[in-house]
Amino acid sequence: MRLLLIISGMILIAGVLPGAERDMARELDEVARAATVIVDGDACQRIVTPRALDYMFKKDPRDQWVDGDNYEVNDQAFIAVKKTLIRLSRLAPFPCDVNLWMPIAGHPDKVRVVIRNAHEISQFWPWGKLYQDMIPQMKQVLDTGRRMTVTAKPGWISVLAPVHNSLGDIVALVEAVSQARRDAHENVK
Amino acid sequence: MSWLNLARTVALAFALVLLPSSIARAAELQALSEYSRPDPFGGVVTPDVTPDAHGHFARAAMLETARGGYTSFHLVVKMPHPGPYALSLSMDREAAGLQADLYREWFHFVDSDKHYYPDALIPLKQPYHSQIPEPDNRIPNQTVQAFWVDIWIPRQAQPGTYHGRATLEADGKASELPIEVKVLAATIPDEDVITMDHNSYGSSWLAGDYPNLSRKRSDAFFRSNEFFSLIHAYHRIFYENHGEFHQLGYGHAGKVGPEYAPDLEGSGRRRHISNWELYDRHYGPLFDGSAFSESRRGARPIPFVYLPINPEWPASFLNWSEPGYEAEFVNVVSEMESHFREKGWTRTYLEVFFNHKKRYMGFPWDGDEVRFPADNRYFLEYGRLLKKALPAGTPVKFVFRADASWDMEKQFGELAGVVNMWVAAGDVLSWLPEAPEMLRHRGDIIWYYSGPPSVASPAVTITRFPMRGWMWGVQGFVHWQTVDGGVDPWFHFNGGGTALVYPGERFGIEEPIPSVRLKIQRNCVQDLTLLDSFSHRKPIAELKSDAAGLYNHTSLADWWNPRPAFANKPTSDWSGTALGEATRPAESHLEKLDPSAWQKVRQYILRLAAEEK
Repeated sequence: MRLLLIISGMILIAGVLPGAERDMARELDEVARAATVIVDGDACQRIVTPRALDYMFKKDPRDQWVDGDNYEVNDQAFIAVKKTLIRLSRLAPFPCDVNLWMPIAGHPDKVRVVIRNAHEISQFWPWGKLYQDMIPQMKQVLDTGRRMTVTAKPGWISVLAPVHNSLGDIVALVEAVSQARRDAHENVK
Repeated sequence: MSWLNLARTVALAFALVLLPSSIARAAELQALSEYSRPDPFGGVVTPDVTPDAHGHFARAAMLETARGGYTSFHLVVKMPHPGPYALSLSMDREAAGLQADLYREWFHFVDSDKHYYPDALIPLKQPYHSQIPEPDNRIPNQTVQAFWVDIWIPRQAQPGTYHGRATLEADGKASELPIEVKVLAATIPDEDVITMDHNSYGSSWLAGDYPNLSRKRSDAFFRSNEFFSLIHAYHRIFYENHGEFHQLGYGHAGKVGPEYAPDLEGSGRRRHISNWELYDRHYGPLFDGSAFSESRRGARPIPFVYLPINPEWPASFLNWSEPGYEAEFVNVVSEMESHFREKGWTRTYLEVFFNHKKRYMGFPWDGDEVRFPADNRYFLEYGRLLKKALPAGTPVKFVFRADASWDMEKQFGELAGVVNMWVAAGDVLSWLPEAPEMLRHRGDIIWYYSGPPSVASPAVTITRFPMRGWMWGVQGFVHWQTVDGGVDPWFHFNGGGTALVYPGERFGIEEPIPSVRLKIQRNCVQDLTLLDSFSHRKPIAELKSDAAGLYNHTSLADWWNPRPAFANKPTSDWSGTALGEATRPAESHLEKLDPSAWQKVRQYILRLAAEEK
């Protein structure tokens, strides 16, 4: 059944995307599939500190940056996972990023990006947000464990894939993403 | 009181002939001090109003200034009824060396307070023919059009009094406003006493601000000559107004804009620079000064520039802490040093600067505004790599810059000898009065950072930045963002807290145009530079004390804050709220400046200048 859904999803993409983008989607799907196997979910869970997660939802009208000013990570876990994501991105024969996203305990309606990469592309991240409303497709991946290709923005292709920890729980997901036509100047800021 | 006495007692460089507004019936010209911005209905904008604001409208512009700088005033055309007019400026033959520039002031409608403020300055060819209401500004019931007049006094000008006039033709009649410029023997030094830096990010905004130009070149825009000319024009406008322009060329996760870095090839020990073409087209004219060849200030290289170096460039973060990272970094930075040396680009400080923050998810440490002291070890590592990449005694001026806030005090110690350019948050620096001298003494560069004031603040507000820098003894300051006027700066303005220049395209000018605030800031730093030059005959502390007293009735100590008790705690325990409260005492002296605050300081400076031979 699971295989059938994946195949039907790929057939659907093949039916609606132009040729070049169809090829990109196929390559990104391969990257995302590998990510599910390779990315260490336990390490992902160690990246953002409990303190930072606590501050993430604090609001203080007299201290408007209280959340970001207290954002911190365990750098060794961050570096280990980031290096894996960079290696994964190099599986694709075109420029792509593999971004790490994670749900937030106690906030099932929210999701956060945890690691971004050098092309600075994501189909979902509003620039600067520490967390945001849960993306329905991400929820589906987190709930079902199935990869999903998203082409909501014209010219953009993201493949979402689950990341598991050693207990077998889905604790994160990756977004393998590229653009049919890259903007060399966007997000240079 | 005669106009001359009034000028000397109130406005120094600006003397007035009192003019009751009730007699203004025919079309006429009036003048206002630069700190009294006119509104489009015959008054002065509310933040600039003083008890005698209406008395500031004058029938003559009487200016007094040193050589080697600009002097300025607002010129207003008042029309009792709608209609056409023509306006021109001229200087007498003996004043031929003086150059007068005329700008139309755009009245921006600010949504937040529903008022109009003049700010963008549109350069004009003379005579200027138009009508009131000004068609493109679309202000209902407009009765006044404002103009900004800049008069440039070359260093070679002979001291003396020069004359000129503004001439208005309307309703078949001509009227004149006399302009008198008293040029003193004193000369403003070439080097500004404080560097005024204007920051920006990337280049994508240029396509948005110049849609016609970018459409014309379509996909080739970002590689076109027009694009690079435009960037150089931004550098020029800030330079001409005694500032410096910075463009950061990379993002928080390491994406580098193509024109900010040479192309790279290979990886590990084989990584090297493959192409300098775009980089050199971008920076060559800025590093050799040729981009400024027509400036009145003379051509000279830009003093500072960001390098593209970040944790992902030139070395891939994939190799962080491995031999490959060091190889990639050292090889490429060494090639850069060779290239700059061979080109003779040795007069610009090349900044290795890390702008990223953890909160933007690119890297696991804060390059900008370190809060958690453990992050300092990354600076130490980059210091090691940089030392390895650069030959000892290189004439190329690489500097390692850090923008410091929370952890500043610790960084000054831990990173001594590694970081040698600091851009400090004003809040923490305000309780470290010994820091600027300590840093300068060991050869570091120290600036502080800030942001431009809104147009809805009193015009004088922008003088607080150079004034504070000079009082503190730092060498410069940064306005963090200065080219973003918001979605609609013309009719629904956000106030301009992130813009000191505007795109000129809507006026047929494919270049940036200046602002009233930029001009006032320029005139302020000219004054400060002149004042500082008098330290050969009067102790600098005395000059500062006198200026501070006139500016806002403060003493030297009032510009600093006591070090708060929480500063002894780990920075992770600090709060932004406590930080804000700790800076209140000194900040409070700058919050409500008298609109004539700088005029009083200028009067003092001109009095000292008049004593110079």
